[in-house]
Amino acid sequence: MQNSRAHLWFIAPALILIFLILMLPIGLAAAMSLTDYALGNPGFNWVGLENYERIFTRSTYERMFGATFRYVAVVVPMSVGLGLGAALLIHSLTRFGNLYKTIYFLPVMAALIAMAIVWEFALHPTVGIVNRSLEAFCGTPLELWRWHANGCENGFPLWLSDRDYAIWTVAFIGVWQGFGFNMVLYLAGLTSISPSLYQAAEMDGATSGWERFRLVTWPMLGPTTVFVVTITIIRSFQVFDTVEAFYPQGGGPGKSVYVMMFAIYEKAIQQNLMGIGAAITIVFLAFVMILTLAQRWLVERRTHYV
Amino acid sequence: MASIELSRIQKRFGTAEVLKDVTLSIADREFVTLVGPSGCGKSTLLRILAGLEAADGGTVQIAGQDMTRVRPAHRNLAMVFQSYALYPHLTIAQNMATPLKLRDLSRWARLPVIGPLSARSAYRAIGEQVRETARTLQIEALLDRKPSQLSGGQRQRAALGRAMVRQPVAFLMDEPLSNLDAALRVHMRAELSELHRRLGATFVYVTHDQAEALTMSDKMAVMMGGRILQFGPPDQVFANPATLDVAEFVGSPKINILPGEVDHDGRVSALGRGIPARLLVDGRLAKVGLRPEQLHLDGGADGWLGRVVHRENLGHDLYFHVALDADDQRLVVRGAQDRNGAESLGDAVRVGFKPDRALFFAPDGTRLHSVVPAKLAESA
Amino acid sequence: MSEAALGASATTRFATREVLKHVVLILGALVVLLPFYVMISYSLKAPAELMQNTGGFFGSQADFLDDRCILLGGTEASCMVNPIAYNYDSAFREAPLFRYLLNGIIVTVSIFVIQVIVALPCAYALAKLKFWGRDAVFGLVLFCLLIPVHAISLPLYVVLAQLGLTNSYAALVIPWTISVFGIFLMRQFFMTVPDDLIDAARMDGMSEYSIVWNVMLPTAIPALMAFAIFSIVAHWNDYFWPRIVITGDRSLFTPPLGLREFRGDADGSNFGPMMASAVVIVTPLIVAFLLMQRRFIEGITLSGMK
Repeated sequence: MQNSRAHLWFIAPALILIFLILMLPIGLAAAMSLTDYALGNPGFNWVGLENYERIFTRSTYERMFGATFRYVAVVVPMSVGLGLGAALLIHSLTRFGNLYKTIYFLPVMAALIAMAIVWEFALHPTVGIVNRSLEAFCGTPLELWRWHANGCENGFPLWLSDRDYAIWTVAFIGVWQGFGFNMVLYLAGLTSISPSLYQAAEMDGATSGWERFRLVTWPMLGPTTVFVVTITIIRSFQVFDTVEAFYPQGGGPGKSVYVMMFAIYEKAIQQNLMGIGAAITIVFLAFVMILTLAQRWLVERRTHYV
Repeated sequence: MASIELSRIQKRFGTAEVLKDVTLSIADREFVTLVGPSGCGKSTLLRILAGLEAADGGTVQIAGQDMTRVRPAHRNLAMVFQSYALYPHLTIAQNMATPLKLRDLSRWARLPVIGPLSARSAYRAIGEQVRETARTLQIEALLDRKPSQLSGGQRQRAALGRAMVRQPVAFLMDEPLSNLDAALRVHMRAELSELHRRLGATFVYVTHDQAEALTMSDKMAVMMGGRILQFGPPDQVFANPATLDVAEFVGSPKINILPGEVDHDGRVSALGRGIPARLLVDGRLAKVGLRPEQLHLDGGADGWLGRVVHRENLGHDLYFHVALDADDQRLVVRGAQDRNGAESLGDAVRVGFKPDRALFFAPDGTRLHSVVPAKLAESA
Repeated sequence: MSEAALGASATTRFATREVLKHVVLILGALVVLLPFYVMISYSLKAPAELMQNTGGFFGSQADFLDDRCILLGGTEASCMVNPIAYNYDSAFREAPLFRYLLNGIIVTVSIFVIQVIVALPCAYALAKLKFWGRDAVFGLVLFCLLIPVHAISLPLYVVLAQLGLTNSYAALVIPWTISVFGIFLMRQFFMTVPDDLIDAARMDGMSEYSIVWNVMLPTAIPALMAFAIFSIVAHWNDYFWPRIVITGDRSLFTPPLGLREFRGDADGSNFGPMMASAVVIVTPLIVAFLLMQRRFIEGITLSGMK
């Protein structure tokens, strides 16, 4: 292309919007995090790193980090692992694969806020279908499982309002909602592996399914895994809908489900403490960046074919 | 190294019969080519031999042992795939070491970190074998690269290396040269033949290119429609094709087929010109095959009259496409070596032929043999 | 693979393996479908049945007495209602559910259209035009892929609030006008379009603008479908952002917000209607997914390609 400036007109709108909507707010958040700004106040004071100091010393925020990391630490490996497992199983089926694919993908399409409300009913301590079903198995061999026997005697967990269960229950719902998406991506990755590689592996003497998986499937899924893990990290850090639906006030029993997005919402929007909210935003962004870049670097080093 | 016996192999995909009762025996150390147009079943036959495909009927014997129900990994064959099928995430050295590791190392010794530490000498031996093979193929410099960093020809060699590094009973090759450019393909033909001689191994080679079959193999099996039409040394297949299909498939440019007639005495004529041969059939139509190199443009007075419509200059050879005046028939004629290019487009020519190597076929394509040698028939 | 070549002895083992896979997948499917079962079942049953957890999936479907109708002065005979009719009727009567659905459509469609108008030319320029700084722009796009827009919602909210734009359609749409993911997806797709096509269009005398809209747009339909799926699913189901910028004004509620508000004043008799509205909100995307499943999955597959 000589003497054409068409590209300027093509990229300018996107660049301006990227700057205004993505870059500028990060700078703004960084600036706000150093102030005691509140919406409606005429002015504000610079408070230096006070907000950050608070985040890293107060026990509320310790719980916030705890809840967020517990959630991410469960949801990322579980939904990636289950996604891969489901994809491998479905891919190896001769029939009905599409049916399972459709079913497992349904939660991805359904509005999480609606499904959160449904889960709340399902997990209701007394009339919920989950505990009802568990009770129905009392007196059966399932009682050999000590946890279940204990539940039959002393009642099954309260799930969402039990401090010991709440965060894991919310994480379970996160896995339930997200693994179908990963499964579809992995299925796409699996179908694009050339059959001749499996044949070559067989000729080379890879006789067990595990050997074929290690030699061909897993390495060939490398790029898919990078993509899947990245988006799963970003998504799970952003968990909000379920938490807000279950615990509109305060982040769950003993603040055990006080995840970062909810903290930002509570502090900044509900309590109008913009400085704190902005500081959490910056810390949040730093985590997401570090984690995704780190995993990219780790995995890409191994899987890049070049 | 071993001989291979395929007997009465049948294979169908759905309703399509891909292989119809194919029997083939390959001697130890032989270079055998399966050649035929696409869809003839040659690749399927190779994959049944490898075990990658299960036959619906028939048996596979390798070195005298029935291998029909043995899985590919245990047949001890090596295969070079059309796409090379190198593991893209491994270096060439690792690619070549894979079959050795999978076969020679215990499960324990194959573990990622502990393995190399605990079985150090085994790993060293494997590394040595890989380097040795790489040296033979002159790809030592490429050992640390990944397949994506190599050219087509280099990948081809690496795939060969992976096949060669262990001592398989036979090498199977599925169109290994078809992804290379023309010049490299010709070069690799020579190299593969040489490799075969040096290794003294059994090679089974699948190709759709009759030139590869002619140039490389000890024996070629021409396949069409799920059958082997002819199996023999290239010279013999070329000079003495069993059927019209074989005659048409082997040889480039393609053999000229003329409509012929046989009179009551078995004398043959084509396009009004007698051909000195006698067939045991009479009063029938026949087809006469004349290869371009048996035709020439100075046919004299009784040559077929025609006009040059196309000149195909291959540098070392010049072919004339001649449209005959009398019939709706075209002939491809090789120009004489000494007077290359004397005729030009549009020239009227008379096409003559050397009568001694004409081939005759019945209308259904089966070969008809002259009962008297051509020379005698002429004088009779 | 070559399992078939392993002979008859393996076929029985093969069959049991296949059955085992189905058992695992069916168990998974049951867990995945559980909340959908609860949601649909609750939307069909009478309040008493919900409280006592009787009636199985469909409930008895016996008419019951609507207390509210009595309060409004109806006779007992005229206030007997069918549970399904009651639930779904209340869902639409007690909240302007149609309005919410309409808002959902307005917002998702405007977001998608603007995103395409911004992203398509930019993606074309990045894929097919050579200009100074192209790699830098693409690098910026890749970097911005890692920024979760939800995370920077706080500064965006502050700016919109200062501009007096909260509680408007604009507030719902503006942050989503730029989609770096859309640019990335489209650019990857355009990379696969042969240069010859564009050169041919130039030889025919087309301007760069008409190339974008008359040549690239039609060829990019599969990629656009993929992007539409991502965009529409994300914004139809989005709860966090509307929750922040829409406060109070019901006429601007998107479906998730409407559902949330419903829940806010839910008592026992309301569960049925609430589940009915959850069904109404979740159904459009699920139905669209079931109808165009192949497109959906193709689209997601496309997004995973590198």
